[in-house]
Amino acid sequence: MALLRGKAWVFGDNIDTDLIYHGKYLPLTDPREMAKHAMEYVPGMEDFSKRVSPGDFVVAGRNFGSGSSREHAVLCLKYLGVAGVIAESISRIYYRNAINNGFLVLECPNISKKVKTGDELEVDPESGLIRNLSSGEELFAHPLSGLEREIMEKGGLIEHIRSLMEG
Amino acid sequence: MEKIASSKLGREVKAGERVWLPLDLVVIRDFAGPNAILQFEEITKGRGKVFDPERIAITFDYQVPAKDEKVANNQKICREFAERQGIKHFFDVNAGIGQHVLLERGLVTPGSVIIGTDSHMNLLGAVESFSVGVGNTDVVAGFILGKLWFRIPQSVKMVFNGRLSYPVTSKDLALFFVSEMGGDGANYLSVEFYGEVIDSFSLADRITLSSMVTETSGKIGFMVPNDEVKAFLEERVGKSVEIIEADPDAEYLEIREYDVSGLEPLISCPHVPENVKKVRDLRGVKVDEVFIGSCTNGRYEDFKVAYDYLLRVGKGFNPRVRVIFTPSTKEVALRLLREGIASAFVEAGGVFTNPGCSLCTIGHHGILASGEVLLSTSNRNFQGKLGRGSYVYLSSPLTAIASAITGEITDPRDLL
Repeated sequence: MALLRGKAWVFGDNIDTDLIYHGKYLPLTDPREMAKHAMEYVPGMEDFSKRVSPGDFVVAGRNFGSGSSREHAVLCLKYLGVAGVIAESISRIYYRNAINNGFLVLECPNISKKVKTGDELEVDPESGLIRNLSSGEELFAHPLSGLEREIMEKGGLIEHIRSLMEG
Repeated sequence: MEKIASSKLGREVKAGERVWLPLDLVVIRDFAGPNAILQFEEITKGRGKVFDPERIAITFDYQVPAKDEKVANNQKICREFAERQGIKHFFDVNAGIGQHVLLERGLVTPGSVIIGTDSHMNLLGAVESFSVGVGNTDVVAGFILGKLWFRIPQSVKMVFNGRLSYPVTSKDLALFFVSEMGGDGANYLSVEFYGEVIDSFSLADRITLSSMVTETSGKIGFMVPNDEVKAFLEERVGKSVEIIEADPDAEYLEIREYDVSGLEPLISCPHVPENVKKVRDLRGVKVDEVFIGSCTNGRYEDFKVAYDYLLRVGKGFNPRVRVIFTPSTKEVALRLLREGIASAFVEAGGVFTNPGCSLCTIGHHGILASGEVLLSTSNRNFQGKLGRGSYVYLSSPLTAIASAITGEITDPRDLL
């Protein structure tokens, strides 16, 4: 997996699935439509989908993605072009949904305190090394496990299954 | 958990391993189900068959009956899929909350491995089923392969000794557990509950506690069935079931023991479930709406205890407050109707709805205006979940009914 570079958008603790993607948009099935509502319920972030640029990172505190099993909460960020989520802890269903969709999620202690919105990050998904190019600081995220990386590298669980079916 | 996985795979499985486990049941709902079906049709080019139609279930509970055209269309996608694939475990808009329906229909046994598109799927840990909430992609994998990858969780043991005294309920214990654990305290973990309090818990009590494990990010919360629960399962499944006991030398990441005899009525305050306080410290907070129901507190026993309390106090609801009752399933609804409990709630000024998820999600009935306060027996109070600018508190059915009578947050001991 290649090195990634992008700007950070920093959020607090307990960014739950209703803040990431509100329940009222659950009937949507087109991920490009979902993308328009990403982070809409985070106070002050109502227009996040217009402000974020492709390749940017969502950085958050603990318990990111807690709550619902809705995959929309992963797809909305992915289809917005967000490069990945780096949080102090990521709730388990969100974590699986992200891996299954080939969307990068990393857990990194203290990241929300060490990075400010607008900082430029360089992320190595393989090793978990995160360099804050704006402050010069280096941070270490927990790397993905073997199986998780395998699914990610295929582009998600569906692609993984496709290769199993063909193989 | 290691024991369930080991028995499924016929070899010793250790916590931390990533394994593919065979699935006993793959469950979709009117929420996320249509996404999974569309994905399945795409990948199999519209010609695919599910791995085993007997091991797929479809339940409608999210917005039932359909509240708009989009939802109606989504439900239609599920109905047609059930027809096409020959799926018999199909439960339409009249049946109720998925996990509860599956349990009542005898589709859940100890040691079974179940996935479903509901983050509270894991409440079935109350009968020792390893059931987890997943997204639609995992379901597609389940439809095709009949198995799914899991990271085998480490286990934490929670022991609750002592006795809960009326009007303290299993929900108060569940809120105590959430506050002790924190919102991510059980992330990737399996929780095993033991102790005198758990031994005495009914199935309804167990469901209340196991459903709140999700609010600590836990993967599953197990309770070893007592005789009553075992008898219920055997009656529903139609044959004897085998209980799973942890090995005496089972390894735990942590063991926590509590004497909970002195527990008081608790309440979770906006906007995270872990924000738990004593009900008496919030006395006087005005409520606009009260909700009794959900997969956490929607069993017959939850309504019965509220009904008995209402009779004992002998007053109706504060006319300023909207009080909404939603049974979890058709079976629960019928019993509440038959025993006059539903009509007593309506006579007292409440609204009695059809079974389903009701006020646990936005977009159907009971939504709040900005600035309004809801006291709910459900499991989540996320910011804006039920209406932008609204406030949601979580409590037991007894705190909820007492507060519905007075119109403000009320410790149920105060009216007795």
